[in-house]
Amino acid sequence: MIGPLRRLRMGVAKSLKPSYDVVIIGGGSHGLATAYELSKLGVKNVAVLDRSYLGSGASTRNTAIIRSNYRTAQGVAFYDESVKLYERMSVELGLNVLFSQHGHLTLAHTELAIAGLRVRAETNQLLGVDSRVIFHDEIRRIAPALDLSSRPRFPIQAALFHPPGGIIRHDAVVWGYARRAQERGVDLHPYTDVTGIDVVEGRVTGVQTSRGPVRAGIVVNATAGWASTIAQMVGLRLPIVTHPLQALVTEPLKPFLDPVLVSATLHVYVNQTDRGELVIGAEIDPYASYSMRSTLPFLETSASHALELLPAIAGVKVLRQWAGICDMTPDYSPIMGITPVGGFLVDVGWGTYGFKAAPVSGKRMAELIATGRVPDLIAPFALERFYTDSLIGEKAAAAVSH
Amino acid sequence: MAERLGGGGRAINFSWNGRRHEGRDGDTVASALLADGVEVLSRSFKYHRPRAILCDAGRCPNCMVNVDGIPNVRSCVTPLREGMDVRPQNAWPSIGFDVMSLTDRFNRFLPVGFYYKTFIRPRALWPLYETVLRRAAGIGRIDEHGHPELHPRKRHMFADVAVIGGGPAGCLAALEAAAAGAQVVLIDDQPELGGHLRVRTSEVAGDQRLEGLSGREAAARLRELVAAEPRIEHLADATAAGLYEGNLIGVTQGATFVRLRAPQIVLATGQAERPMLFRDNDRPGIMLASAVLRLVWLQRVRPAPEAVVLTDDDHGWRQATELIAAGVGVTALVDTRPDAAAAGRSVPAERAALRAAGVEILAGARPERALGGRHVTGLRIHTPAGERDLRTGLVALAGRPEPVLSLLAQEGVRARWDDQLGEFVPGDPPAGITVAGHMRGAGEDPLVLAGGALAGRAAGIAARGLAADGTADRIRDHERRVAETVAGRTPPAPLPRPGGGKQFVCFCEDVTAKELKQGIEEGFDTLETLKRYSTVMMGPCQGKMCHGLSARVHAGLADSSPAVTGLTTARPPFQPISIAALAGPHLSRIRRTAMHERHDALGAKWIDMGDWKRPLHYGDVAAEVRAVHEAVGLIDVSTLGALDVSGADAGEFLDWIHPNRFSDLRVGRVRYRAMLDDAGIVIDDGAVARLAAERFFVSTTTGNLDGVDQWLRWWLAGSQRRVAVTDVTGHYAAVNLAGPRAREVMAKVTDLDVSRAAMPYLAAVEGLVAGVPAVILRIGFVGELGFEIHVPADYGAHLWDTLVQAGRPLGLAPFGVEAQRVLRLEKQHAIVGQDTDALSTPLEAGMGWVVKAEKPDFIGRDSSAAVAGRGPRQVLTGFEIVEGGVPAEGAAIVRHGTAIGRVTSSKWSPTLNRAIGLAWLTSDEAVEGRSLTIRLGVGREGQTSSAVVRTRPFYDPDGERLRS
Repeated sequence: MIGPLRRLRMGVAKSLKPSYDVVIIGGGSHGLATAYELSKLGVKNVAVLDRSYLGSGASTRNTAIIRSNYRTAQGVAFYDESVKLYERMSVELGLNVLFSQHGHLTLAHTELAIAGLRVRAETNQLLGVDSRVIFHDEIRRIAPALDLSSRPRFPIQAALFHPPGGIIRHDAVVWGYARRAQERGVDLHPYTDVTGIDVVEGRVTGVQTSRGPVRAGIVVNATAGWASTIAQMVGLRLPIVTHPLQALVTEPLKPFLDPVLVSATLHVYVNQTDRGELVIGAEIDPYASYSMRSTLPFLETSASHALELLPAIAGVKVLRQWAGICDMTPDYSPIMGITPVGGFLVDVGWGTYGFKAAPVSGKRMAELIATGRVPDLIAPFALERFYTDSLIGEKAAAAVSH
Repeated sequence: MAERLGGGGRAINFSWNGRRHEGRDGDTVASALLADGVEVLSRSFKYHRPRAILCDAGRCPNCMVNVDGIPNVRSCVTPLREGMDVRPQNAWPSIGFDVMSLTDRFNRFLPVGFYYKTFIRPRALWPLYETVLRRAAGIGRIDEHGHPELHPRKRHMFADVAVIGGGPAGCLAALEAAAAGAQVVLIDDQPELGGHLRVRTSEVAGDQRLEGLSGREAAARLRELVAAEPRIEHLADATAAGLYEGNLIGVTQGATFVRLRAPQIVLATGQAERPMLFRDNDRPGIMLASAVLRLVWLQRVRPAPEAVVLTDDDHGWRQATELIAAGVGVTALVDTRPDAAAAGRSVPAERAALRAAGVEILAGARPERALGGRHVTGLRIHTPAGERDLRTGLVALAGRPEPVLSLLAQEGVRARWDDQLGEFVPGDPPAGITVAGHMRGAGEDPLVLAGGALAGRAAGIAARGLAADGTADRIRDHERRVAETVAGRTPPAPLPRPGGGKQFVCFCEDVTAKELKQGIEEGFDTLETLKRYSTVMMGPCQGKMCHGLSARVHAGLADSSPAVTGLTTARPPFQPISIAALAGPHLSRIRRTAMHERHDALGAKWIDMGDWKRPLHYGDVAAEVRAVHEAVGLIDVSTLGALDVSGADAGEFLDWIHPNRFSDLRVGRVRYRAMLDDAGIVIDDGAVARLAAERFFVSTTTGNLDGVDQWLRWWLAGSQRRVAVTDVTGHYAAVNLAGPRAREVMAKVTDLDVSRAAMPYLAAVEGLVAGVPAVILRIGFVGELGFEIHVPADYGAHLWDTLVQAGRPLGLAPFGVEAQRVLRLEKQHAIVGQDTDALSTPLEAGMGWVVKAEKPDFIGRDSSAAVAGRGPRQVLTGFEIVEGGVPAEGAAIVRHGTAIGRVTSSKWSPTLNRAIGLAWLTSDEAVEGRSLTIRLGVGREGQTSSAVVRTRPFYDPDGERLRS
């Protein structure tokens, strides 16, 4: 049967087995990617548990921006592998994830911001990532709708251009991983709430769920915004504070904006999807909360900031706003790997940048589980770094720079 | 054919697709077009099928057009204005013939989610495919270089009671709340109050004020009553689009956006008819019965002389009678309920009237498909007696209306499926919000009217804090009657399983029942995942037309009940709001110092620093630098943040906030401050002067004032410390007078003893300078003898003038930020935020001396101890260029192709006659005299400069000049 008439076969496991080798808590992009990669490595007695439908959390609430123009060498290397995996993903998973690589522009409105962009460009270039500082002529060519005049309060002066950056269909990523993982024997259990984790003599032995207990020697915490609450179940305190992050989407318009636009000065980012909608986001809300209720100030300030960049959108209407929650770490880098509790692994602290890292996290976490060795690429992100003062400071490149 | 009814106003000219048309005052854009022979207003999103008025209430996507360059305007609720330029969207080459409508024929190859399954290989061709796919996206078009001026306004309102919905329940609620003494804001999305009564002729029963009046008369009476009540403010043409935490309502009213807060909210948003499911149910000429009535009564346009009415509820019988009263003949009433005997049972009067009018009643019949192409020509129905074609040019859909629950859902209240009613009804609202009227599911006049009045009275009483009267009991009685009425209902039949052809569930995204079926079969079997896969409910209407239908179709297909399926989460806004309206007037803060005009007169080149405008230079940076070193310079430092920190515990509090100590600072002395966050990272610096035992003057960097102010308040909140923090930045104007002759200038403008003995380095003195009260701090950032003088802002210009006049004979020159940057770099003074970042600890940034590890506790103590334990990994250090150009700030320093550091500041020093800078280097590289290679970067790719590490200040390394 030819492509479009092919039927997908999404499905979920009917019954919860009493025992799995690996239980992954969190059926988002990270949990599913890890399960899929585990199945490729031959570890197949794996269950993915989620309290709601698969992809119900941050995986499909984020604004689906992919890029690798980070600030630190460790961050660049890690996200670069992720971008490469995303580029191959449609073929790998047999599902078109609609990766739209029209480039990513980080705008600078001040001298200081330009210096910050130069630092990133230099780090990126030295590590082989396509990223450079550009000025008005080139910006105008890439994003003609941007207001480059001196009308705005803080006129745009320069930008960091990262051609491989872009946006993707986040739902498709979730479905692609879920479908392949399940085909390879992974059990997917949506609507299965984890209520406790059993620990005996410092090692996990299983989890308690709303559908009964499950034994497991390895439990992976891939629950993003709820990461610290799950870690508490084994008595582990993570250096994580959960904050809401909001976004909005406009009515679909004929495409006029190809690259992703980010302005840290205005705390806003804008991109136009392949459906034609403008997706607009901001930095995290300044207060800690698990609330996923949208706010009016977000709507107003984001609209005003987006309008400052793109005066042409004045008459465009906002269709919908929503919120998700983000597990923020002090250095804006994730926490991956082993913990003091035997068999309890974390893939958390994903803040506002988790979706970008799903494929590489899945691959390297699976490698860790299958081999018992921490892969070099994720070693810098160990929980231990907070005790050895080896932080990976990505605040400058990750804060609003979706 | 549509025809204009009498009684219209004056003629209004406008254009459609470049052609001239004429409408009447009172028309909407859509009704004017319809009356002037234009029915098809848009082409659908995916199949480019012709679409025309469906709801006439601004809820569906069918009437979206471009008006005067603004895309996606709902023409059915947009009043016609003279000279409007109206254009169709999403059609090429024309709205009449759209090439893309071929997709309608070949849709077999474009099933739900087809793009997920195609264009996967070869990978190299994907960017090309994507470009094609992207081109097909979107509906409206904007001029990307345009700059539409929509003159938005913001309004902030407060009320005791907000009533949302101007139908009979809403109006009575507002009247009763006002009668209880409450200030009421009544929000209604129509131009005039009355709700559905405005298009209803049948008699209203159940409230004395309206007894015996026809619907339209009752609407007029309600308008009079509301207008006569001074405590009600009526917002017309205003949509409550968002309901947010704390009873904050976002209201969109044309170009105005209203933020309304009310402790009590009455939701009376009513109910609305929705499309019904049969093949080709989107043909032009098929519209909601309420749309037909609105066109006739409100816009004076009759879409057709006769109609077939389709229903699944007694509501349809009422609507059929109303259509006849409105002058639209009803040839047949098709009631799809299988139990023919039940049809019309609750409406005996209408039943009799319809029979008397000769309407053919076809109970137990089922619609098969619409006939016709660009316009409906009939309806094929399946009756127990066999298949039949009913010829008609207008099909009026009068299925059971659904309560409008979106705002309640925004509040987090989940809708509950009521099996008896066969619809979703509101769950229990939180305190402060009540739900009244048709939203409750019981649509009988007496229940709607009494419910509205009671809800309003209760809200008024609650908001005013009045003693409870009998209202609560009456509400309980009322609730019981509602429950009894609902219990007496005949449950509706479930939806028939959808058959073949295109039966549209979602008009925005062109999603058919068949596609939902396929999606479910592919495993997207919850409403949430089905929504995301099929895009049902994701279009411009956001489910307003299709939410309930989607849930019911899904439940039918998935062999489930809507009770299990539930609804997806409705999110704000209820109606789309323009970016401009949300953004409001274009306002941005610009702060100018008290000496701004003086700088302007001197020809200053300006730079933005935070909100402030600062002079970058006055034309000759080198001369400014020279003046400071050789004579005396004057810089405006009013932009530094200034906080007054006072109270018995102020010293101890500052000790806790900072790594160094202030409680032991003597009155009359000033000390450097650096502030750390919990992770021991430097986040701000400045000075702390002790002006009195319990009063400290704290300065911050220019951009950081708000952050520092919040930081202090954050740490004070909840603590027992007796400390008050006051932002006094705007109160003061300040300058720094710096240079070897600064003391001579000071001596000319003050009677204070400014000698080295009386006013040594780090002294803090209050006294008169230039005849005005001043705070004088003996500090400086530029490496020369300096006096920082703060005076009340009103005297800023006077201080500047006095100093300039006194200093001129001594060689005084004003200097700007650029000269300051050079001067401080010669001293290797770091600027927090430029030379430091989110990883910079004081130890590594060369300010390790501020950390007093022996202090019992302070913010950042543990982290600082850890850094001290492990030693510095990277170090902020100076460098000078030996050969090559001045590197850009941000440039990388490399060894063997790997980064070993980066430049944070670099300048040409006219004093030293070479380029100097500050850079972060790995600690093993930060050794005096070490050679460095610096990439020049942007614009100079491939070029490098050679430099050497310089760990000591380039100028006056021992600080003798500063202390002089």
